[in-house]
Amino acid sequence: MAVETIRAPVARRAPRIAASRMLWGYLFACPAILGIMVFSLGPILFAFWVSVHQWNLISPIPDMVFVGLRNYVDVATSDVFRAAFRNTVEFTVVGVGINTVLGLLLALLLNQRLRVRAFWRTLFFLPLVTPPLALGIMWTSLLDRNYGAINAVLSRLHLAPQPFLASPDQALASIIAIAVYQYVGMYVIIYLAGLQGIPQDYYDAAAVDGAGSWQSLRYITLPLLRPVFLFIVVTNTIGALQVFDVVFAATTGGAQTSGGGPANSTMVVVLDMYNTAFKFFEMGPATAMAVILFAITLLVTLAQLRLLRPRM
Amino acid sequence: METSIRKPPALLSSPRSNGIQAKLWAVARHLPVALAGLCMLVPFLWMVSASLMTPQEITGSPPSLLPAHAQWQNYAHVTGVVPLFRSYLNSIVVSAGATVGVLLTSSLCGYSFAKFTYPGRDALFVLTISSLMIPPFAVVIPLFWLVKQFGWIDTYMGLIVPSIFSGYGVFMMRQFLLTFPNDLLDAARIDGASEPRIFWQVVMPLTGPALATLGAFTFVAMWNGFLWPLLIVQSQDMQTIPLALNSLRVYGAEAQSHNLQMAGTALGVIPALVLFVFLQRYFSRGIVLTGLQG
Repeated sequence: MAVETIRAPVARRAPRIAASRMLWGYLFACPAILGIMVFSLGPILFAFWVSVHQWNLISPIPDMVFVGLRNYVDVATSDVFRAAFRNTVEFTVVGVGINTVLGLLLALLLNQRLRVRAFWRTLFFLPLVTPPLALGIMWTSLLDRNYGAINAVLSRLHLAPQPFLASPDQALASIIAIAVYQYVGMYVIIYLAGLQGIPQDYYDAAAVDGAGSWQSLRYITLPLLRPVFLFIVVTNTIGALQVFDVVFAATTGGAQTSGGGPANSTMVVVLDMYNTAFKFFEMGPATAMAVILFAITLLVTLAQLRLLRPRM
Repeated sequence: METSIRKPPALLSSPRSNGIQAKLWAVARHLPVALAGLCMLVPFLWMVSASLMTPQEITGSPPSLLPAHAQWQNYAHVTGVVPLFRSYLNSIVVSAGATVGVLLTSSLCGYSFAKFTYPGRDALFVLTISSLMIPPFAVVIPLFWLVKQFGWIDTYMGLIVPSIFSGYGVFMMRQFLLTFPNDLLDAARIDGASEPRIFWQVVMPLTGPALATLGAFTFVAMWNGFLWPLLIVQSQDMQTIPLALNSLRVYGAEAQSHNLQMAGTALGVIPALVLFVFLQRYFSRGIVLTGLQG
């Protein structure tokens, strides 16, 4: 009874309140929406458009020459881009693959200690919050064939010093190693969060039923980690495809000009795009590269979401 | 946050009640993690060690691992090569500015999506989500042109503004605010408070955790960002820390003074790291907030 009497007067005034509230709703959403349209959605559409033109960024827009799909053809047949594409894919597959397994292992190990876990977790956290460029600088120095610490240790152990980043064979592996180092912490932290969300009761019940450690792992832990697993793999794949800072730090400046390592063995797509756009001022091919990588990223993400969707 | 005691679910749970064996086993269990953890530290340790070497030590053959005498003056020299203090200032301004912007616009918009109904709201939300699919590098070239049109090249505006509007932030705030109690809002409205006031005085104070997490993520991402500042900044006194490190890297390679390069990198990296380590809590929480909700 009391409820109805309170409601009645509100209902009569409802249309006017609703209208003014709607207005506020729009207003509050405005800054973010406008911003996203201007700085995100607009630009990607502009990128599509530029990719079918020829443009050097400096001349005014109306002077752009329409060239159809020629940019895409040029890009697809360019040796540099092909190397970049191959390297980027290899980097992504190997890097994400290694980290997925390694991160899980470390997280499982870390899940057992209580008091010191925070300390170790902090150590894994460090590379995550260091500028990737700085990591590239630090590792380039570590891996330097002449004065790097790693070769110093190797020579003290009477092993042959390795060229690492200077060799077409080892350069990409070195970059992958750096990326594994950098991001394993993220996997560990996220897996840990996921592991902590698994109720202890499940394990107890399994133990009562006579399940061993391995069976617990396989039938309880892994399936329940699936949403977390999906999240990590998807976000890190997207990130890995966009690798730039580390490769830039490791392979440009000094004696090299366009970067990409010896014989383009560490050239990656974003670096190629950067060179094409801001060294050679060819916006058409550069945006074509961006569109190609964007499309690939979308496809891979959708495929992953499909394949790894948790069936719970 | 560690609350209840979780027994080890798998792998290495072997109860040994015998004293010494238990201790040995405890050490053995620590070992892989300890090793991995130390591996994380290696590049940083090398950076500090190399930064204290003389030029001869660092280019010597065989290369040295530790300096004979710590050359602390390397640190003083480096500040003469690259304006690190100015770069710190720039990084702080840019990161803080972007963070404040993101927090404000994202929470406003998230609040609107979560607690208001109006035609087109869901379509706008879908629009926001779709912007999440756009990777940064894809829009870098058009953004550069756009920023150039605004005359923001080489300015704080150019560095900050494009990063303020984050679909990710809106998504996160909306998810969080969906669970905000409606009673509080209704009570405030009945008391006659205006909508902006409700947002500012009722909603915001209670979204602390979400704001802290989003803020931490944004701040660190802006601080470490490289590609965008690389394009926008053209004068040395507008460089952010990663750019300053890059200049130093190029200088170090050309002038063969890798020890100075390491000193500069150490100066550029370590102070921020100390700060970020304190933010670690917000990261874990944030990752849980977003990741496990799929």
